[in-house]
Amino acid sequence: MPQESQRITPQAQENTQSDEHVASQQGQGEAAQAQSDDLDSILDDIETVLETNAEEYVNSFVQKGGQ
Amino acid sequence: MPQLHDSGSRLDAQAQPSMHHDDFARIFGLETEYGVSVTGVYTPVDAGQVAMTMFQPVVRQARSTNTYLDNGARLYLDVGAHPEYATAEAICPFDALTNDLAGERIMRTMALDAQKRLRNNPATSNATIHLYKNNADSAGHSFGCHENYLVRRFIGIDAIEHILLPFLITRQIYTGAGRFDGERLLITQRASFVDETVSSATTRSRPMVNTRDEPHANPEEFRRLHVIIGDSNRSQWAILMKCATTHLVLCAMEDAARHNTLSELSAMALADPIAANHAVNEHGAYANIALANGKTLSALEIQRWFLDHANEFLSTHATAVELTLRTDPLCSPAWIAEQWEWALDMLGDNNIEALSHVVDWAAKRMFFTRLEERGSVAPARLQQLDMDYHDVANGKLYNSLCSHGYMRTFATDQQISTATHTPPAHTRAQLRGAFVREAKAANARYDCDWTQLRLLQPVRMEATMLDPFSDVPNEQVTHIMDYLEHLSGHDSVDMPV
Repeated sequence: MPQESQRITPQAQENTQSDEHVASQQGQGEAAQAQSDDLDSILDDIETVLETNAEEYVNSFVQKGGQ
Repeated sequence: MPQLHDSGSRLDAQAQPSMHHDDFARIFGLETEYGVSVTGVYTPVDAGQVAMTMFQPVVRQARSTNTYLDNGARLYLDVGAHPEYATAEAICPFDALTNDLAGERIMRTMALDAQKRLRNNPATSNATIHLYKNNADSAGHSFGCHENYLVRRFIGIDAIEHILLPFLITRQIYTGAGRFDGERLLITQRASFVDETVSSATTRSRPMVNTRDEPHANPEEFRRLHVIIGDSNRSQWAILMKCATTHLVLCAMEDAARHNTLSELSAMALADPIAANHAVNEHGAYANIALANGKTLSALEIQRWFLDHANEFLSTHATAVELTLRTDPLCSPAWIAEQWEWALDMLGDNNIEALSHVVDWAAKRMFFTRLEERGSVAPARLQQLDMDYHDVANGKLYNSLCSHGYMRTFATDQQISTATHTPPAHTRAQLRGAFVREAKAANARYDCDWTQLRLLQPVRMEATMLDPFSDVPNEQVTHIMDYLEHLSGHDSVDMPV
């Protein structure tokens, strides 16, 4: 069974938003910094993807249509 | 989908009135075609060849590229060399989700195993196999993710066209998986390729809803609604919500049909469904949609109308619907309605950030926007990242979004892993799964379809299972299972009586 904490309810969404609202009141710089760290760690994870030739990668995916 | 063993005509003899004809129970199923490609090779590798490499172990075991698994699902190679996984019958959205995610995991294992074998060959020692749970390749060939819903037969094709189609077209504003077409990010993967509304064909043309009549159940009582207009989603929330909201709309339709008030639900009938589908694809929630009655509403307003009607229906039938979804750990009628309303509210506020944690197209838009804020990004790079998001074998982006808690997940790792070998509860998939497990253990040759179990060797035996809601073995199933048990326990093969 998924834990209660995994459920997103509109209530939980509101809490998240109000947390963000508090964060933005504390200083938008902090929130922006957190977002940017987040993006950095995602960019680290996808580094191998970004290193490959994008056009070659895209063009290698050609196959017949399905349903 | 090749129907190698369409057993529709054999069913009549066993047909019994279903105990679910008068309630809101439903069977859910998802069929997903995957796309394949190989990078890191000097000479291009044909998609068909990769798919065959993936299926080599299956062919060795099943002597066919079409097989059923011990979790009740079907695994096969479809037209255009697409590996395809069709979930077993599920009685609630969460079970359909976990069985579908089990399919992703099974496909991933097959792809990585094939990759290992490719890399053993010096000519392809750096090969990387990509297995895309998306709906289009780079040349604009499209393939599908189809949803199946068991629907009471008294819901006619015209009701599906006038009532359900406007819902299915507009639900894409929160279930769309998004596709970067080289210039812009569209809301859906699939809408650009759909060219008909309701038809019985799937390969010559691409309708939104397929009317091919194969209920895999008592045909007197049920039809199988085959929805083609949906996207292949990575978002678990989107998979749940496309099944769950469609279920509520179908329940409201069935209730109205029982009270002869079905026509009241056709107020949203569209003037031009194909045009509406393209408008949603381009403009999302704010797309202007012309109705058959001459009015024009936004996609969001049409969704609000369906939500209001679902809520009105639930105000008198919530308990009955709750009862049919009782095994779903997440999707109670209240949860579905709340999530639905929340998504529409966020769309109304144009709060893409809030949506991006659960909606595929919004996640892509947020990520692409932030990437572009760091400097210009070539269109080919965005196209590549869009594809990588859907690569279940070697993709990095979607997993990264999940592991950093950006994308929300609902099924645990344990639940998915269990679902790779456990069929959904309270359905005939339980019987199919047990049959496959026992036949494999006994080294017997077998074959199945959705309504039949067949033993081919050492003896020929058949069992028909007509009721998808029943996990109780009938006489034929008991007979075949007794024989398999007997076979496993003995070296010499004795024929059962």
